[in-house]
Amino acid sequence: MTTESQAPGLSYEKPLPPMLELTKPFWDGCREGVLQIQFCNICDLPWFPPAEACPRCLQDDWEWRPISGHGTVWSWIRMWQKYFPGWSPDEYPYTVALIKLEEGPYMYSTLVEIDDKDVSCDLAVEVDFRKVNDEITLPVFRPANG
Amino acid sequence: MSNQPDRSDLRNLQDKTAIVGVGTTEFGAIYRDLDPERSAYELGLIAFREALKDAGLRRTDVDGVIVSRLPHYGRMCEMIGLRHPRFVNVLPGEGRQSGIALQYAALAVANGMADVVACIYGNNGRSAGAKYGGENRGISTQAMFEAPYGMTSPGAVTSMMFRRHQYRYGTTTEPLGHLAISNRANAALNPNAVMQRPITMDDYHGARYIAEPLCLLDYCLINDGGVCFIVTSAERARDLKHTPVLIHATSQASDITPVYVADDFWYEPMSQLADDLFAISDAQREDLAFAQLYDNFTPTMLFTLEGMGFCEPGEGGDWIAPERIGLHGELPLNTGGGHTSESYMQGWALHVEAVRQLRQECGDRQVDDAQFGLYACAAPLATGHILKRDN
Repeated sequence: MTTESQAPGLSYEKPLPPMLELTKPFWDGCREGVLQIQFCNICDLPWFPPAEACPRCLQDDWEWRPISGHGTVWSWIRMWQKYFPGWSPDEYPYTVALIKLEEGPYMYSTLVEIDDKDVSCDLAVEVDFRKVNDEITLPVFRPANG
Repeated sequence: MSNQPDRSDLRNLQDKTAIVGVGTTEFGAIYRDLDPERSAYELGLIAFREALKDAGLRRTDVDGVIVSRLPHYGRMCEMIGLRHPRFVNVLPGEGRQSGIALQYAALAVANGMADVVACIYGNNGRSAGAKYGGENRGISTQAMFEAPYGMTSPGAVTSMMFRRHQYRYGTTTEPLGHLAISNRANAALNPNAVMQRPITMDDYHGARYIAEPLCLLDYCLINDGGVCFIVTSAERARDLKHTPVLIHATSQASDITPVYVADDFWYEPMSQLADDLFAISDAQREDLAFAQLYDNFTPTMLFTLEGMGFCEPGEGGDWIAPERIGLHGELPLNTGGGHTSESYMQGWALHVEAVRQLRQECGDRQVDDAQFGLYACAAPLATGHILKRDN
């Protein structure tokens, strides 16, 4: 399930990722509500962020595979400094979390459906998605069910 | 890890080379004088001139140049009239590179590729409006997978690591406050420091957050400046003006991950570094007169102290006490004020402070019995040296 993150017609001024041939499958997956990362077809190693070859085999025999979407909060911060345009004054401080995916790689993201006062390192989380525009849907994380 | 090489070969470089001249711009004066036309090369030039004078060398004695943060070696060599240097290199403008510059210079001199190497750094970041955060251009991992969440800045990743350290060990921000206060107290005794007004724990706890849990006083300054150090052989150094400061032990280690952070707070590279240095050094931890620890943000010092074995992992918070880290304590830290108070020269000015302490030139902030001193930088690319005053 994806959720519209803002009303239609409002311009979105936060940074958006450039779309590359290498990364397009990641964003295509997010748009469909599927979190996927690259896996080596030779040694089964998963990795993120995307790269042109398996960092272990150094071969380009890999594929995008859906992952569980489960992980834990390795750590998190509240950002007070206004480095970027696009965040309105009432959004500060905003939360950034570093998620340790169940499959191993780490991924920066944000947390939803939880108050900052309830966030802790090692909190179990699962992926959710927030649609930004027709092309980009961002993966975010919420407390895992159960 | 298996198949560890025999690191005792690091001894090959021991005491072969020396820092014979150091120079900097006037950090405080330049801080108060913003100049959008100020170039990094101009700052490098001033520092080079000061270092030459300090060494008692002539411009034409220099036959090697390593520049950092300066975009191109060519412009720097042209400005200092060096048409035919024998050894030249450019290092990126990141703090991890200052220790590496010294290592390259030592390697070049010890192996006959140059006689006198000038390492030159110039940083016009403040005048140029550098923010050290908010970049989202190009096709970097940062632009693609971090900026969309507002994740940016070296301070934010350090804050992530510190929060994890708090969770794992119960560390509070109090020791970070002690580090910031101690740096400032040292800077108050350093006429060249940018920030000289002493601060208290109340000031620390009252400072605004940048990337919470870190606040403004955990952060390095953003200021303009230049630094140069000149390296030659120990033999030649003994004929020059000052007591040589020998490159006694030096090494690198690393932990390179896609997200910058290390889940062990860089324990593995820093403990490797400490093993390398103390295995070959005449000095052990208790023999060090001071430590200049890379402090882009105060937690980096805590991670360094734990990783290098000054205390156990997780005990840094208790170990960092004012009486221990002050100028007359067991291990004086960042005696010139460090990056949070003296000047953010990305490790370069920490090297200069180490040299001046070992030469006993530091006046009111001089530490006792300065025979050996440590420089260390915890980062994905970690460096450390033990420097030694020649007898």
